[in-house]
Amino acid sequence: MGSRLSALSGRLDKLYEFDREPVTADKLQPWTKFAGLYAGEHVAATEFVIGAFFVLHGVTAGDLLLGLLFGNLLAVFSWTFICAPIAVRTRLTLYWYVRKVAGPGLMAIYNIANAVLYCILAGAMIAVSATAVGLAFRIKSPSLSDILPTSLGWVLIVFVLGTLFTLLAVLGFEKLSRFAQVASPWIFVIFIAGALAALPRLGVRPDLSNLVEIARTKIWTGVPVAGQAKLGFGHILFFAWFCNLAMHVGLSDMAVFRYAKRWTYGLFSAFGVYPGHMLAWAASGVMVAAIGREMNPGLMAYETAGFAGVGALLLAGWTTANPTLYRAGLALQTVTPNWPRWKVTLAAGAATTVLACFPVVFMKLLDYVALYGLILMPIGAIVFAEHWILPRLGIEPFRAEKLGWVVNPAALAVWAGTLGVVFLLPLHLYFKWLPGYGLALASYSVLSAFGRKKAAGGAR
Amino acid sequence: MKRVVYAVLALLSLALCLLFPIRLFLGDVTFVRYKFGLIFSSLAWLVFATLWAAGGKAGKKP
Repeated sequence: MGSRLSALSGRLDKLYEFDREPVTADKLQPWTKFAGLYAGEHVAATEFVIGAFFVLHGVTAGDLLLGLLFGNLLAVFSWTFICAPIAVRTRLTLYWYVRKVAGPGLMAIYNIANAVLYCILAGAMIAVSATAVGLAFRIKSPSLSDILPTSLGWVLIVFVLGTLFTLLAVLGFEKLSRFAQVASPWIFVIFIAGALAALPRLGVRPDLSNLVEIARTKIWTGVPVAGQAKLGFGHILFFAWFCNLAMHVGLSDMAVFRYAKRWTYGLFSAFGVYPGHMLAWAASGVMVAAIGREMNPGLMAYETAGFAGVGALLLAGWTTANPTLYRAGLALQTVTPNWPRWKVTLAAGAATTVLACFPVVFMKLLDYVALYGLILMPIGAIVFAEHWILPRLGIEPFRAEKLGWVVNPAALAVWAGTLGVVFLLPLHLYFKWLPGYGLALASYSVLSAFGRKKAAGGAR
Repeated sequence: MKRVVYAVLALLSLALCLLFPIRLFLGDVTFVRYKFGLIFSSLAWLVFATLWAAGGKAGKKP
């Protein structure tokens, strides 16, 4: 097992060899780059589903507004006070930092877990886009309770879209990512256009005199649709906070902030979350209310913005599934020795396409987003403890690197143990990560202190 | 110079994408006209913004 993990980590190192060195001072970027990057990254096809789900879960207008306002603020603070300071001090990617902290073997396991999670996320994006294409062929979209594929037509559409997205990802990531930057502001504008166009249908007067009343009685009514649990202020606050948990608390965005001149650049994440995770979610809520609270992103887009809406949904799915497939491929390359990049991306795309056929990947998207962050969160806590807490306790950091461990046993135990404990916690899924984070921080610090004492005892 | 022209045309197209739904909301245009206006201004944005982006230096990812 140890030698297999070593071989895996060797391949990973080759993939990331260009990111091995800390970023040099001449490569640091101005704040405008960070504002632009975040502004362009947070309007995905899944925003059509998330905001609509809040309506179906019976969120009230006040809970939505306050929950998103403060939840997104907590997310921005997490980028600013947790992720950016470590990135600016180390100038390394999470990959190389976890390797120093937890050993190359654990890094390989982390990468594979990430790849699987990326594939499911890309699958959700393909499925959301498929609802738009389904309209043209009069193929019924799956309903809220559907888990398995609902018809041959649905499977065919997902298969065609998945194949197309995968082939485009195989053909060229760089050009497509530049096109995504072009499409991004327009997709956001289409969200706003769709919501504005839906308002008269809901009865909002042009002078906006009854906007608040309509918002309370026809959009965010506080009454969930049949079969959906009621969500309140706390759920929305936590959802907005954890929906990018892997990136901020989980420290994935160290890859971005290692180029920042100052840790305060973390504040520029607000340029992404407030338009994408507040305005776009509110807009999709208005759109779903206008079509009679039916979870059908394609119908929402078409009924409120016509073919431009359908195009925006397709482009949003494509431009966000593409980098997700690319990243999944990159991570999977560790277990496919000697495979060229195109072959790995093709394999990731095939797996993603199969997953996308199952409506559960987007009908349970809110829960999936929670699980995604929860599974990767303990690694962020371990790195945080190693960086900030251990030196203050007088414990030597980076023992895994210094002693040449393939896997840091304390890190593996904390990752697995934290997940085991949080799944048993009698809390709503959305609230589990916070006590889990505290537990991971504390248990890793204690285990590291214990490990050092034992080593010191052995040396005597 | 060309790049500036493309930038202006792209931004105008994006502004039009917002203007049509505002005019629909105010009751100045019909839903059909709104949908046509939105699709044409969208196509204009995608064309001019692509030309604008292609005319500049390749962006450095931070």
